[in-house]
Amino acid sequence: MMSANISNRSFRPYTGEKARISRAYDYLILVLALFLFIGAFHLHFALTVGDWDFWVDWKDRQYWPLVTPLMGITFPAAVQYVMWNKFRLPMGATLCVAALLIGTWITRVFAYHYWNFFPINMVLPATMLPGALVLDFILMLSNSLTITAIFGGAAFALLFYPTNWPIFGLFHVPVEQGNGQVTVADLFGFQYIRTGMPEYLRIIERGTLRTYGQYATPLSAFASALLCSLMYTLWWYIGKWFSTVRYLNKI
Amino acid sequence: MKTILVKTLTAFCLIFSVYLMDVQTVMAHGEKALEPFIRMRTIQWYDVHWSKQAFNVNEEISVSGKFHVAEDWPIGVPKPEASFLNISTPGPVLIRTERYLNGKPWTNSVALEPGGDYDFKVVLKGRLPGRYHIHPFFNLKDAGQVMGPGVWLDIAGDASDFSNSAKIINGEMIDMESYGFANGVLWHAFWGILATAWLLWWVRRPLFISRYRMLEAGMEDELITPQDKLIAKSAMVAIPVMVLAFNAMANNDHPNTIPLQASLDQILPLPAKVNAGIVNVDTLKAEYRVAERAMKFDLKIDNQSNAPLHIGEFSTANVYFLNKDLPVAHQDLSGSSTVSEEGMSLDNNDAIKPGEQRTLTMIVKDGLWESEKLDGLIRDADSRIGGLLFLYDLTGKRYISSITAAVIPKFD
Repeated sequence: MMSANISNRSFRPYTGEKARISRAYDYLILVLALFLFIGAFHLHFALTVGDWDFWVDWKDRQYWPLVTPLMGITFPAAVQYVMWNKFRLPMGATLCVAALLIGTWITRVFAYHYWNFFPINMVLPATMLPGALVLDFILMLSNSLTITAIFGGAAFALLFYPTNWPIFGLFHVPVEQGNGQVTVADLFGFQYIRTGMPEYLRIIERGTLRTYGQYATPLSAFASALLCSLMYTLWWYIGKWFSTVRYLNKI
Repeated sequence: MKTILVKTLTAFCLIFSVYLMDVQTVMAHGEKALEPFIRMRTIQWYDVHWSKQAFNVNEEISVSGKFHVAEDWPIGVPKPEASFLNISTPGPVLIRTERYLNGKPWTNSVALEPGGDYDFKVVLKGRLPGRYHIHPFFNLKDAGQVMGPGVWLDIAGDASDFSNSAKIINGEMIDMESYGFANGVLWHAFWGILATAWLLWWVRRPLFISRYRMLEAGMEDELITPQDKLIAKSAMVAIPVMVLAFNAMANNDHPNTIPLQASLDQILPLPAKVNAGIVNVDTLKAEYRVAERAMKFDLKIDNQSNAPLHIGEFSTANVYFLNKDLPVAHQDLSGSSTVSEEGMSLDNNDAIKPGEQRTLTMIVKDGLWESEKLDGLIRDADSRIGGLLFLYDLTGKRYISSITAAVIPKFD
């Protein structure tokens, strides 16, 4: 009988049929985890980041880089806890964000483009993969919640905008429309009719989060970095509270 | 087991076939769902006209019209400080190429003034062939959607013929349907490949049970190899460097970018067209007779114009009640399905002479009160009616009053 509760001296790696079953179990869990994270993280992201990720004319320089990493670091932190603390697998964040992108791309192509007729370039998703990779690297090399929360969380937030600027920068080229200037992104919002999305719903540089010397993004990114460090810690513990290996112990 | 599977599949097919038999195209946008007092006393539409109702992909049409912003704006509805004239479509089957308010180009939202009069024009271009029920409507911030009159549009042609280009500020023409798509896919693919490589690096080894056993056995050091650490250290430096380099390249490629634009357009109302002070109408009393589906108004009309006037129409929430005895032509309502041709009756249909003040009773009666769900007004928290009263002189010149009153229901 297999048992996980063994000492270093008596440890023997699985061979033969045991190794084959163990490997089959790996693939089973991986596939289930992939579908779980595609569904759950995608739903979480759609409900929290929502329009900021759906529409090209919502991806502003102030709230988009603040909100997206802050909501995007949640599942990666929780899954990192399980993957790292129980299995020493430094791939929780990358797995989560990759699953999110798979779900997002499926939705954008089938729901937004084929079902609701929006051009896909109007609903391109953002990517957080570089930040997720760095988050995994920092956890693996530091083996520390504190260091990963502070430096990994900050890196996750700070890398977000420059990662996505090569994708979305060209949508910020100005166009003359109605005796005024708008960006190509704004023009998408004006031309491609959304009945439930009037222009005023967008949160573009409103409230007390202001620019400094007309720079907005660095301020938002550093605010997001600070908040991501806190959010990472919170969700690490959520991962701790809601995960269990009791079934592995029964093997 | 096999029997259960067959039974389950049969049940599923039966249930699914019921849905298939009853599939119908949605014909409405919830335009009757909003409380009647909001539909009657916020945006009061009139003279809405579509240049064409059958056209081809790539062809441009326009919808133009007028609206009055009711003075008696409901207290429960936020004032229209940010308002957006929209078009109800099932997705972008048309695109909006131009929009004007009072003749001025209008891109963003605008603050409307209660009591103000406005005219509008929206230019649309066919994108996807089909038959669609379309309304102009206002998105009112924190209040909801107030629909204008709807029509059916038929778009013919081939969707693949659609083109939409825009000139960016350096003079280059771009195709809005594909701009930036290939570039976006490329970057997603690039980062996706790196992430997949990192995931495969770990997935190729025994994972959960094996690693858990080793960890429990205190063999943590064997789970992360020096090679793993070397790769992680290298990539941890390389990825931020790549991100910053690619960001710099993008800045270099597009040096003149601007933030998203979100100003509130400043467009003032037109000189008064409704309640312009020449003909004053005061509503003394309004009574809704539930059984007859009739609204009875006692009106006091003061004609300060220099011509005799006849009451021609009363409109509220896109429902029109016409006086069939009007000696001149009514406004063109040919596209509307909510017109009561003989719905208006007056106790005195004689012309109101210049300088005359007359008190009269007007009854507007039709099943449309019920079918358009306007009779629910008597059960609203704010049971006041509002609408536009159109008076005509013999040359066809119109005088419009926005009238309003509390409604008293008569249930028997």
